[in-house]
Amino acid sequence: MAKDRYFYYLFLINALLNIVNFVPKGLINGRFDGSMASIMVAVPLGLLFTYLFGKVMGKFPSTGVPEIYNQYLPKPLSLPLLLMFAVLWFIAGLITLLAFVEITLRYISMDVEPLTVLVLFLMVVCISMRINTESILYGLEVLLFLNFPIIGYILFKSLLNPQFNWNAVLEIVTHSAHWPSFGGVATATFVFSGYANLAIFNRVLKNVNFKLLWLLGISGFLVLLTSFLIPIGYLGTINVDRHVYPWFSTADVLRTKNFVIERVLFLFYFNYLMLSLASTILHWHISLNMIKGMFASKKRKKPKRSFDWWVIILFSGFTFAAQTANQFKLDQFGQLFLDVRFGGEGILILSVYLAYRRRKQRQA
Amino acid sequence: MADSKQQASKGNTISCVKEQLAKMSDLEHQTLGFHGQKVQFIYLTSLCDSKIVNRSLIAPLYEMGDDKEYELYIASFPGCQQLEAPPQIVAKLLQGCAALAFDSGNLYLFDAARVEASGVAPAESETIVQGPSDSFNESLDVSLNLIRRRYQSASLKSEARTIGAQSKTKLAVIYDEDRVDHNVLKELMARLDNINIDILQGAAELDRYLASTKFRLFPTTILTERPDRAVFNLSEGKVIILVDTTGYAVIVPVIFNDFFTAMDDKLQVTLVGWFLKGIRYLGLVLTTVLPAIYVAFSSYNSEVWKIQIALLVAGSRATVPYPSFVEVILMLLMMEFLTEASLRLPKAIGSTATTVGGLILGTAATEAGLVSNIMIILVSVVAISNFVIPLNMMGFTVRVIKYALIVVATLYGLLGIICGCLVLVMYLTSLRSFGKPYFRIFVLDRLKLGRTSMGEKNNG
Repeated sequence: MAKDRYFYYLFLINALLNIVNFVPKGLINGRFDGSMASIMVAVPLGLLFTYLFGKVMGKFPSTGVPEIYNQYLPKPLSLPLLLMFAVLWFIAGLITLLAFVEITLRYISMDVEPLTVLVLFLMVVCISMRINTESILYGLEVLLFLNFPIIGYILFKSLLNPQFNWNAVLEIVTHSAHWPSFGGVATATFVFSGYANLAIFNRVLKNVNFKLLWLLGISGFLVLLTSFLIPIGYLGTINVDRHVYPWFSTADVLRTKNFVIERVLFLFYFNYLMLSLASTILHWHISLNMIKGMFASKKRKKPKRSFDWWVIILFSGFTFAAQTANQFKLDQFGQLFLDVRFGGEGILILSVYLAYRRRKQRQA
Repeated sequence: MADSKQQASKGNTISCVKEQLAKMSDLEHQTLGFHGQKVQFIYLTSLCDSKIVNRSLIAPLYEMGDDKEYELYIASFPGCQQLEAPPQIVAKLLQGCAALAFDSGNLYLFDAARVEASGVAPAESETIVQGPSDSFNESLDVSLNLIRRRYQSASLKSEARTIGAQSKTKLAVIYDEDRVDHNVLKELMARLDNINIDILQGAAELDRYLASTKFRLFPTTILTERPDRAVFNLSEGKVIILVDTTGYAVIVPVIFNDFFTAMDDKLQVTLVGWFLKGIRYLGLVLTTVLPAIYVAFSSYNSEVWKIQIALLVAGSRATVPYPSFVEVILMLLMMEFLTEASLRLPKAIGSTATTVGGLILGTAATEAGLVSNIMIILVSVVAISNFVIPLNMMGFTVRVIKYALIVVATLYGLLGIICGCLVLVMYLTSLRSFGKPYFRIFVLDRLKLGRTSMGEKNNG
């Protein structure tokens, strides 16, 4: 079924966005202490999570997690769970957004107030996240389709550049024989987290077909290797950890002669600007729907229209408050979120499985 | 006794009808007698064809032997009705029927309508290079004929509707029963029933009343004057609404891609067809973002470009005394005036206006240093690429969108353009045309219109 491709888009956008969400930074911090091994562990683990969640959501065709919780879990359990996931998804989007404001100021326009940029981003995200779930998937498809060739070009360009130091990469690879760390594995599995978006998108995607799971594995593995190793090849094994956004510094190394734009950084930046905003829209859309799920009662299926606007005000308020944090704190917070998120995914899968068991009991 | 009662009621009916049609200078009421019997003719001379009335009604009256035979002769015509209620009779008379009242009390309504419509003319607003050039005309029957001749299938159904309390405009809803999505059809019929207006004068107007939301940027129905486009869409399972007296048909539901399909794409070699379509999308991108990009690059992000290009633009703008967005908006507005003016002008003066406006004014403006040379090139590119879009409705929409992008580019530079485009994409994907997703990249599964989109049914 052609509709399966939408599930892969959900995976893809998350995998591509790892660069903004501090995954390379986290891996680079542990580059001598088991990052390679963590990647090796993260690939099968991520695939396992994807498979399990896909399977268990497949038992509830065309329903989202809020409906499943409300129907099969007791209220004292379902409410905190929904709140937790709403917060987690909100923070995922928040980190992308704040990191991108940071990147904009650092690499593109140094003289602009961060607040003005944030206002623009918030407007884009808040307008777009209210559209219906199916439309978001179509939009995602368009954006990925537009940006994929550029990403391919940049990758191609960066690997063929004579300045790329393969020796530095090889040196890191020699550190593979090391125990993986929890932090490293948690960081690396972020690439596979796209499956979790199924929590809401299961409403419009019917059963996901896992025939192409190997493709997810290979592409996830390659994405991890490129986002970890290419900055090392350009910035050096030691100096690479001085960069907060190693990939943007890497893109700034590249130069192109055949186009009206000379610095590849600009291509890369505008490319990722679109993807980051799309990803934030996706995450906040899920968060919004989780919050709606908390207030959904049996009488009233859908909350009022004005409800959306209250949530938007809430989200914007938190974002403005969080924006005051400095770069160091944001980096730390991002790393912490990657670990917390890993645990959250476990809880998500377990709780839906629990709901499935309870349904079976009820039917028996 | 019964006879006289009947005659009295008949007299009442006729006087009642005449009362309603009082003060109409074109009302004709004749009483013709023969063989001692009388036949009354009532009709509106402006609506009825005098040739039909003379040849089919009056001449045979004197050729026939007696009134019974004549009555049978009249009743034998197709579309000839026997009515009694005065309001119905008045409505029929206003449609162009002639009423014949016999002494026996029978009242016949004979269809003698005169339809004034231009002949089948070549299409004007959607011209193509090769291929049929017929277009719909103002008569519903002729338009229907043009479709039926191209689509000879028993599954082609046409349902009649009347819209407008005063205008009583006839509509024909045409669809292929086997291919149409019945949800769309049901939705369309419901919306047609909900239309409550006095006068419907054009297909474009109908399009407005069919829309689900009042404020929208993109057309969610296509207006066409080409029978071949209508037939092509019928075969894809869409619904065509022909509107009498307009010469246009409305196609629903449509997707974004339909607006970029010209009817001669099918006649081209496949690769050439793809190329042409690509050109059109490129034109769309150019005409929407180019002015905004100019503003962003010359006022905000000049460092993004290669140094030579940045210098070129800056040098060209050296004499221009105001910021770039003023320059762009000024020139674009000039362009809009020119387009609007040449649209309304008589053909003979039209070319003068474009020459004076486009050539002389453009050259003079650059020489005076009011706008840069590059700006003139840009404005021409924007204007020309706008006309690449085959359907006018989309062309008009695109004309408006570029201003929104200029505004965000003025505020945020290149960052604003990217964000603006993103919101535009999201807006487009959120649109629905009669429940069908409006904008998707891969529309290959478009042919299976019978299935609803991905999951739940959307209102659109």
